[in-house]
Amino acid sequence: MIDIRSLYEKFVRAPMQGAKVMPGLFYRSVFRSTYPGTVRQQLAAVVNNLVLHVHPTRVYNRSIKAKTTFGLGLICLYLFIIEWITGVYLMFYYEPSTGAAYGRILDLNYTIMFGRVMRNLHRWAAEAMVVAVGLHMCRVFYTGAYKPPREFNWVLGVILLVLTLALSFTGYLLPWDQLSFWAVTVGTSIVSYAPVLGPNLRFVLLGGDSVGSDALLRFYTLHVIAVPCVAALFINYHIWRVIKDGGLAHPSENRAPGSDASAQPQRTDSVVTTFPQVVYIELLVFLALTAALMAVSLLFNAPLEEEANPLTPSNPSKAPWYFLGLQELVGYSAFWGGVGVPTILMVYLLVLPYVDRRPVGIGIWFARERTFAITLWTLILIGIIVTIVLGVYFRGPNWNFYWPWENWPGPH
Amino acid sequence: MEKWLGAFGLLLTLVLGWTMWDASQQEWKRYQVAYYAEAVRLAQKGTQRDWARNLRIEIRQLQLNGDATVERCVTCHLAYDNPGFKDFPEPLRTHSSILESHPVQRFGCVACHGGEGRAVTTLEAHGQGHITAKPLLTGKYMQATCYNCHGAKTLPPAGTSSVVRGRQLVNRYMCLACHKIDGEGGEEGPDLSTVGSHRSWVWLYAHTLRPQGVVPGSTMPVFLLNRDEIRDITIYLMTLLDSRGRLRYLPLLAKRVAKELPEDKGDAAEEKGKPGQRKIENGFAFEYDGEALFVGAGCRLCHTIDIEGGEVGPSLTYIGLKRDSENLEKLLKDPEEILPGGKMPQLYLNDLQIKALVQYLSARR
Repeated sequence: MIDIRSLYEKFVRAPMQGAKVMPGLFYRSVFRSTYPGTVRQQLAAVVNNLVLHVHPTRVYNRSIKAKTTFGLGLICLYLFIIEWITGVYLMFYYEPSTGAAYGRILDLNYTIMFGRVMRNLHRWAAEAMVVAVGLHMCRVFYTGAYKPPREFNWVLGVILLVLTLALSFTGYLLPWDQLSFWAVTVGTSIVSYAPVLGPNLRFVLLGGDSVGSDALLRFYTLHVIAVPCVAALFINYHIWRVIKDGGLAHPSENRAPGSDASAQPQRTDSVVTTFPQVVYIELLVFLALTAALMAVSLLFNAPLEEEANPLTPSNPSKAPWYFLGLQELVGYSAFWGGVGVPTILMVYLLVLPYVDRRPVGIGIWFARERTFAITLWTLILIGIIVTIVLGVYFRGPNWNFYWPWENWPGPH
Repeated sequence: MEKWLGAFGLLLTLVLGWTMWDASQQEWKRYQVAYYAEAVRLAQKGTQRDWARNLRIEIRQLQLNGDATVERCVTCHLAYDNPGFKDFPEPLRTHSSILESHPVQRFGCVACHGGEGRAVTTLEAHGQGHITAKPLLTGKYMQATCYNCHGAKTLPPAGTSSVVRGRQLVNRYMCLACHKIDGEGGEEGPDLSTVGSHRSWVWLYAHTLRPQGVVPGSTMPVFLLNRDEIRDITIYLMTLLDSRGRLRYLPLLAKRVAKELPEDKGDAAEEKGKPGQRKIENGFAFEYDGEALFVGAGCRLCHTIDIEGGEVGPSLTYIGLKRDSENLEKLLKDPEEILPGGKMPQLYLNDLQIKALVQYLSARR
């Protein structure tokens, strides 16, 4: 019988405590100290570590409670990392040409070791990332965390939202099947409804008047190099600003109307050291998220239809689901769906932290003082969700209305 | 906290183990192991046994059409060219002798049998269980793919009986009263000119049997047909391909007139001297059949010759009187140059194909 306790003592505990034998020497050469046992060492462990030093050395106890943030920003970061790793794996096999792309995807599905699970992971993590970014944004809004001094970090967040959608959309075309071809055809035609510049914008995006080999190469380059690099830069900036702007939003930052705004906030609640509490929780979220995503990827295959055929449009042609709200609006008015509503939403998001500056409701979910702002946001959110659900589940051939349980007429 | 970390670490390890197990489950490996074991058992001579023992368990594939097409059917159907496996059950069974005239290295498997050539599981390669899958063609259904290359004339009557009967049935039941085929017929139902490219035979069979079962609310009547009649109609519909589907068969349409070019250069030059005899392509000598190309490249979809064909473009029955061969060659190479703004599409034919077509067309006078 193997004595687990003695193995643990010999190979884990003793090296951490600084025994001058080989595993311990190596441990200390990496982490530059023994396992941090005292508070002083724990503070130093954060400052002295390249990965950990983006954290503060101590955080408020409430910061590590699930209901404060639900870890959504962290989940977004993890999903981005998973996308990066699985994306590199897919890049080994993918070829961005109209003749070869679909075959490569089939090969990934059929013959390449781990190809199918990697593609599924990449797809499901991408969809999860769109959702997680949206939820993260809602959390920040509903807890008033965009108010001064964090207004510019909110703007960075809005840019990251756009980059996430851009990543997802450019990746959508790459399998070169009927689904992706017609979704991108529809998605880019929404762009062309912009006044004056619209058709030119579409031309630049596609490298031509229709989705073809140039569009595929362009989307591929954007998807694997341009947008990920820009997004990685902005993610770093975004995280760095969290610390620089004073950490997570805290209720002590709120001011009663008419009180002195420059007074230092009185913070009385308890703190914990970042190491080990926060680091462990972050590790836990990573393990849980990865395990869940992998299980989903083993059970459910990413959608793939027949090879793209520009001669036979699918009816209905639907954009990726996160743009279906806009496509639904295009059904009523090309201008409002393609230009008006997206512009208004972007302007609303960008000016929000500069207009809504009252120091109330910071760090508090659904604060009563912010009823108007919260109502407005919730109405917009409901509008977006309703139009998306309409587009996904209630639209059939020729964009006619059908109940989800109704059969669509005509051959399909 | 450490306990939770341990628990989720264990969970992730289990999921990773599941991934490994999933990746190790390869159906084709079982067939290869069985094949090699049988091959060793059947080996008569020591050399055969050594050959069988040295076989590796690996994915095998045919690369055709300048490597553009990959077919992995032979990963499981290993014994297709081994005459010792005539009585074995599939997938380890010797292929019929038709391979002598249709070498696998040139035609592959999918051109005749259908299915998804890149897949290596029965479910996916034979196109079962998914709505967009390409189901395998068996029995008489293979007449459709024979016909797509050979047309009616070069096949023995038994080889096209179902296609011919299917077309007769389409006439007898007045399908063209509602449907259009190659420009002829009614407007009530969908155009069927290219239906074979867009629907699998499973779909076509089910739809001919009872349209409402496939397309709810369809106004198409249910015809009282027996199974053989439905099958023959399905087979005929399978031969109606769009230009893309037809172009797929183009490389196969090249008529092979000599086995392989002799290595000797002087010999080859001498061969070249003979008019209209041997052309070099892919190391083989080819000659295209202009008439087969006319059907195969989809010309007939738009143009009529004699009485068969579409009405989009002009009739080509007497085209030889109107255009000389030089003009025809230019036209086929770049339609835009001769007919600016016309409907004639660029067909991307190679020089040999153009030459064969020009020969065929300029003789129409």
